[in-house]
Amino acid sequence: MAIDIFLTIITVIFALMLVFSKRTVVSAFALLMTLLTLALIYFQLGSIFLSAVQVLINAGAIAILFVFVMMLINLEQFQNNREKSKIKLVISTFTMLVVLGVLALVINNNIETLSVNNLTDNSMNALFSKLFSTYFLPFEMATVLLLAAIVACIVITTHEKQLVEEETELHKMEPKL
Amino acid sequence: MFEMMIEILIKTVVILGLPLGALPLIIHVERRGAAFMQKRLGPNRVGPFGLFQPLADVAKFMFKEEVHPAHVRPFFYTAAPMIALIVAILPLACIPVAAPFEAFGRTIFPEVFRSDMGIFFAFAASALGSYGILLAGWGSNNKYSMLGALRACAQMVSYELSLSTSVVAMIFVFSTNDIHVMVAAQQGYWFNFIPKWGFFMQPVAAMLFLVGIFAESNRLPFDLAEGESEIVAGYHLEYSSMKFALFFMAEYIHMIALSTLFIIMFFGGYNLLPGLELIADKIPLPIALFQVASLVVKIALMVWFFVWVRWTLPRFRYDKLMDLGWERLLPIGIANLIVTVLFVYFRN
Repeated sequence: MAIDIFLTIITVIFALMLVFSKRTVVSAFALLMTLLTLALIYFQLGSIFLSAVQVLINAGAIAILFVFVMMLINLEQFQNNREKSKIKLVISTFTMLVVLGVLALVINNNIETLSVNNLTDNSMNALFSKLFSTYFLPFEMATVLLLAAIVACIVITTHEKQLVEEETELHKMEPKL
Repeated sequence: MFEMMIEILIKTVVILGLPLGALPLIIHVERRGAAFMQKRLGPNRVGPFGLFQPLADVAKFMFKEEVHPAHVRPFFYTAAPMIALIVAILPLACIPVAAPFEAFGRTIFPEVFRSDMGIFFAFAASALGSYGILLAGWGSNNKYSMLGALRACAQMVSYELSLSTSVVAMIFVFSTNDIHVMVAAQQGYWFNFIPKWGFFMQPVAAMLFLVGIFAESNRLPFDLAEGESEIVAGYHLEYSSMKFALFFMAEYIHMIALSTLFIIMFFGGYNLLPGLELIADKIPLPIALFQVASLVVKIALMVWFFVWVRWTLPRFRYDKLMDLGWERLLPIGIANLIVTVLFVYFRN
């Protein structure tokens, strides 16, 4: 019990560091530590597979890409002029409310979730046979949601004109290579 | 409870102490091997065959003045070597050195952390390998260090993909994540002389994995992270004395850990070397000792292979390296994975 509380406190401290740190690389480092302590919490709760996957994918690949990009384009020069816009505030408050609402719904209505406790044995076979039978629809919905987010990111960050220019530039460069 | 703790302590000391203790020997082999391939003598002055040279080096590393440059970011600069070494040692915790055996009235699993997803844990731990290098480059606050770190990170992330495809293919072939089951599946022979090793079942995956471990451990021909002729010394440029030694150790231990995983999946792990079981039957020693010896011999051969390649092939050019990773190895890996999955599906 004591170790649970300790891990939770550490996770929350790193999560706060992630949001409030002025230096982007410190933020990225805090993100990494948050992911790792979360993996420890999963491990403590008995979900060994989930903790391994958390380390392998979130900490081992995604956080590395964050840190990599931050170092590559040296974000430190932008650290002091963080814009404070109203839209951002509205969107983040809205998102927070939605997340809290969903959590409240799940807790209040005792909706059955896929947790380690209602698996008969804690192996990958048991987990995946549940995931691809009983929970197939939510699982697929999550993947579609992620796909939509990826497409949205590409649409937001690239403008059509810019894309065409880059392509022609690449075309010009080809003979040299 | 007390017995459990003693057991885990002994396992930790043995399994983590062995590679650390073998490091000086490996470094010696590397130097003498290099000398042998370049037709020179190498370090042969200190002790018999120069065997005490690594010890002299350790003494040097310990007593050398530690230079702490003024322009570094102190926290990351100090943390990076420690993170590099810790992360390099972590995968060893899930690697068994022998089959489970009965002793003191219970079954003892000869690995520190027993799980039926051992292979997953080993790869999860080794996926963190680039953080040490990345933080070293960032913490050093130096152009060359930064370039080295970025190169190393890009290379490790790219090659991890093709490496993972081959690992997944092997998991499908053996239909398990348990290292003990994987090794047990590789016992026996085909036609009485070809060992049932993963290498003969999945040669493509084996080659992908082999290339992957060279890239993951930043060894030549993939040592772009250091690239002496281009970026001085890469990510460990600002490090001296013991901090540099930690990076040095981390590189070799990462190499040993990845070679052990390679042997577990493709060369029968701790299964006895072909022909050894005939001798092992006649000698009244526990079979576990022969298994440990077989594994050590296999790892030693892998280490020699690493040395051999290092002094034979030149370094890749950076764009060729990325081409190889993304345009050749990854498609081959995915094709191999699809074929394997179809094969396993129709076999069942």
